[in-house]
Amino acid sequence: MKKISVNPITRLEGHGKIEIFLDDSGEVVNSYLQIPELRGFEKFCEGRPVEELPRIVPRICGV
Amino acid sequence: MTKPKIALYWAAACGGCDVAVLDTNEKILDIANLADIVFWPVALDFKYHHVEEMADTSIDLCLFNGAVRNSEQEEIARLLRAKSKVMVAFGACACFGGIPALGNFTTRDEIFERVYIESPSSANENRTFPQTLTKVEEGELDLPEMFDTVMTLAQVVDVEYFIPGCPPPVDIILKVVDLFASGQLPPVGAIIASDKTLCDECERTKEEKKIARIYRPHQIIPDPNRCLLEQGIICCGPATRGGCGVRCVKANMPCRGCFGPPPGVIDQGAKLVSAIASIYQSDGQEDINRMLEDIVDPAGTFYRFGMADSMLKRKSLPQGERRA
Repeated sequence: MKKISVNPITRLEGHGKIEIFLDDSGEVVNSYLQIPELRGFEKFCEGRPVEELPRIVPRICGV
Repeated sequence: MTKPKIALYWAAACGGCDVAVLDTNEKILDIANLADIVFWPVALDFKYHHVEEMADTSIDLCLFNGAVRNSEQEEIARLLRAKSKVMVAFGACACFGGIPALGNFTTRDEIFERVYIESPSSANENRTFPQTLTKVEEGELDLPEMFDTVMTLAQVVDVEYFIPGCPPPVDIILKVVDLFASGQLPPVGAIIASDKTLCDECERTKEEKKIARIYRPHQIIPDPNRCLLEQGIICCGPATRGGCGVRCVKANMPCRGCFGPPPGVIDQGAKLVSAIASIYQSDGQEDINRMLEDIVDPAGTFYRFGMADSMLKRKSLPQGERRA
């Protein structure tokens, strides 16, 4: 089965790639969007003072 | 004559550095006039294979933002290094680890557990985590390996210049463009910012540096004209490089150190501990204990942007963990 990779996806904020699988006649069988990045804000914000979070979480997305 | 080539990339980042480049407004046209942008995921549709197909050192200037926290980011850092004559660590994350390096107080497994299991929006009874290789009906899918430890760009590849800031201010970006255009780049290793501390550039009134207690924001209304540290509000100015235009302090917010340590300081957090300890009025152990209690989150405050680049680098890993 043929695979087309769109890597990276562009002109948007964030990291992603798309894998498209084609059958022998070139028809799309299935496609997958994958997000190859995780920073872990959910975890590393724990224990930080609440008044500091407005200075940390804007860095989730700066676009 | 062919134009010089510029590449921009984001690794573990938020995109704010890319927006800072766009914040040059109409000057972006000068940049486009000066050079061909051959790779810039946020704005242009070039793929990794386009970069792989380029000849080595065919990119004249690479502005790399973001920290390195997984194997793909490490690979792209090495790829762009090979293809670029000049590699620039652009922004606090690439220079010092930045906010993502707060992840160095935890581990990959702890992050996965929190994100994919404990998160209130997760329903994941089978405990499925991201895999580097997944077999699906149609074939195989792959993902990069997330590291335990967030790294700076210079911990992965050789870097010629460092532009600090979260994000770097427009005037510094334009200065770098001018230096690049005129062929007058500074000596390799230069940090393109001020050589003074933030305190040296701050115009607030400074009197006697002695504090009796530490205040959190809800406990005090700060005097907008007086040194924040002298008012008992933790400000990272004494151990932070200037050049940012004192942006936060002018907005009555204490500095959090995104320009990294000033010249001569190896460890920004240690310098801050030393600075605060030296101005704290204490009559003995009881006062010292109180100060320690008043600083709610010393590690996350003193190493807010600099954990990856610090001497500590990270919380110690359990024996046998993947990657220190």
